[in-house]
Amino acid sequence: MTTIDGANVKKLIVACDAGMGSSVMLASTLKKQLAKNGVTVEHAPVAHIPADADVVVTQAGLADRARGVVPDIPVVPFQLFLGDPAVTRVVKAIQDGETIEV
Amino acid sequence: MSDYTPAVTGTGARAAIQRFGAFLAGMVMPNLGAFIAFGLITALFIPDGWVNKIAGTQTDVSTQISSVVGPLIVILIPLLIAFTGGSRVYGHRGGVVGAVALVGAMLAPVAVPWLTPLSLNGEEATRPASIAEIGPTILAAFVLGPLTAWLLKKWDNAIAGKVKGGFEMLVDNFAAGIIGGAMAVVGLYIVGPITYYITQGLGWLANALVQTQLLPLVSLVVEPAKVLFLNNAINHGVFTPLGAAEAAEAGKSIFFMIESNPGPGLGILTAMLLFGPRAVRPTVPAAMVVHFLGGIHEIYFPYVLMKPILVIAAIVGGATGVLWESIFHLGLVGPASPGSVIAWAIVSPPDNLALNMIGIVLAAGVTFVIGMLLLGFGRKESAVDAAIDLEAAKEKSAENKAASKGAAA
Repeated sequence: MTTIDGANVKKLIVACDAGMGSSVMLASTLKKQLAKNGVTVEHAPVAHIPADADVVVTQAGLADRARGVVPDIPVVPFQLFLGDPAVTRVVKAIQDGETIEV
Repeated sequence: MSDYTPAVTGTGARAAIQRFGAFLAGMVMPNLGAFIAFGLITALFIPDGWVNKIAGTQTDVSTQISSVVGPLIVILIPLLIAFTGGSRVYGHRGGVVGAVALVGAMLAPVAVPWLTPLSLNGEEATRPASIAEIGPTILAAFVLGPLTAWLLKKWDNAIAGKVKGGFEMLVDNFAAGIIGGAMAVVGLYIVGPITYYITQGLGWLANALVQTQLLPLVSLVVEPAKVLFLNNAINHGVFTPLGAAEAAEAGKSIFFMIESNPGPGLGILTAMLLFGPRAVRPTVPAAMVVHFLGGIHEIYFPYVLMKPILVIAAIVGGATGVLWESIFHLGLVGPASPGSVIAWAIVSPPDNLALNMIGIVLAAGVTFVIGMLLLGFGRKESAVDAAIDLEAAKEKSAENKAASKGAAA
């Protein structure tokens, strides 16, 4: 089990296959939600996740590749691009500065 | 960390295919703007384009502007792809040598005397007389861009630290020039001829599938692959190059339509909205807008993965669309990317616009009806709801465990 310390997340990456479609959409949603928390939200192709990310969220079908690229960064897989509980949980942890397991 | 060990079965191969596909798509996708410029100029200004159609005659201005179409697709786009492929491997320098090498392969059918076009359709094949008559050499770009950049990278690594101070620029520039130039010669005599024959063979095969009305069978592969997030790999790794080759000759191609048809996804989402598990129904309307208008197909894949049997609906719906398109010889003038109904309308040739839209509606309708049957008109949903509740329960128990651990510590 790896944990995410919501208070220490400074950079959240949303990854998708090409880094130009679905990840951009989810990143723009999360940017709004996390604007007050001083968190940088960026989107990236799953093959080029920046190494200085604190947490990566990606669709479950791409999670294995994401873990191969950044084995030391927690990867949170989700199912739905809109309103997925896994993503909501990460957002809430960051907003409340809580630690969660992933 | 044991959680991070990749799963051994299935996902390993899937991840490998995804990676290779993403590598190809990664060379094409950053350049979609150029494809779209090509598509727009084609749709507006070719002899059968919107401008002439609205004017009711062949206008001089459209003749002049349409001269841009050929160079865009046969010269600029392959060079951009080679550059991007090279830069993925070794930055800007890698991109430059990749593009240089491609020019050799590009000219092979014009300059290499023993390279004769195959007469696959029983017709006499004619040799291109100049660069204006060649096809887009995207396959050669996929090979030469990354390969040449990789060679330069190896060379730079081999001599790193061994160059006398003050001579770095001289050595660097001439290394790139010599490797790029040498690979242009390799491209002309080796890579160019090989990829030329492969492209011709693939073109013939694709054409045969269209002629025999067997093309809808590709939906058997395309639709399941899409929901496994191989959509970009398939579309931009395979269909965009095939489509570009056909569009350079015929002005439009059916290959731009196969993966990008937003119909099957819309059918899946509609079936889910009305008959899917109650827990997910509220998320569907927003997904429909993003999928159908925004063209981000990824958003419907999870709904299929949730009820995998729905892939049958997507296959039959997709095949219906392809069958319709191949019966009426429909096509798009460039890639519809993202696969939105708006993008489809914009890159439809004027004469095909209405029939293309019907192709989307048919694909959506068939997918919806079969999806509805597979979902048992919503009667089976309680079982799925139970499964989702189970997932939620598992998550909750994990949280409880975490809480108890926290208390213990």
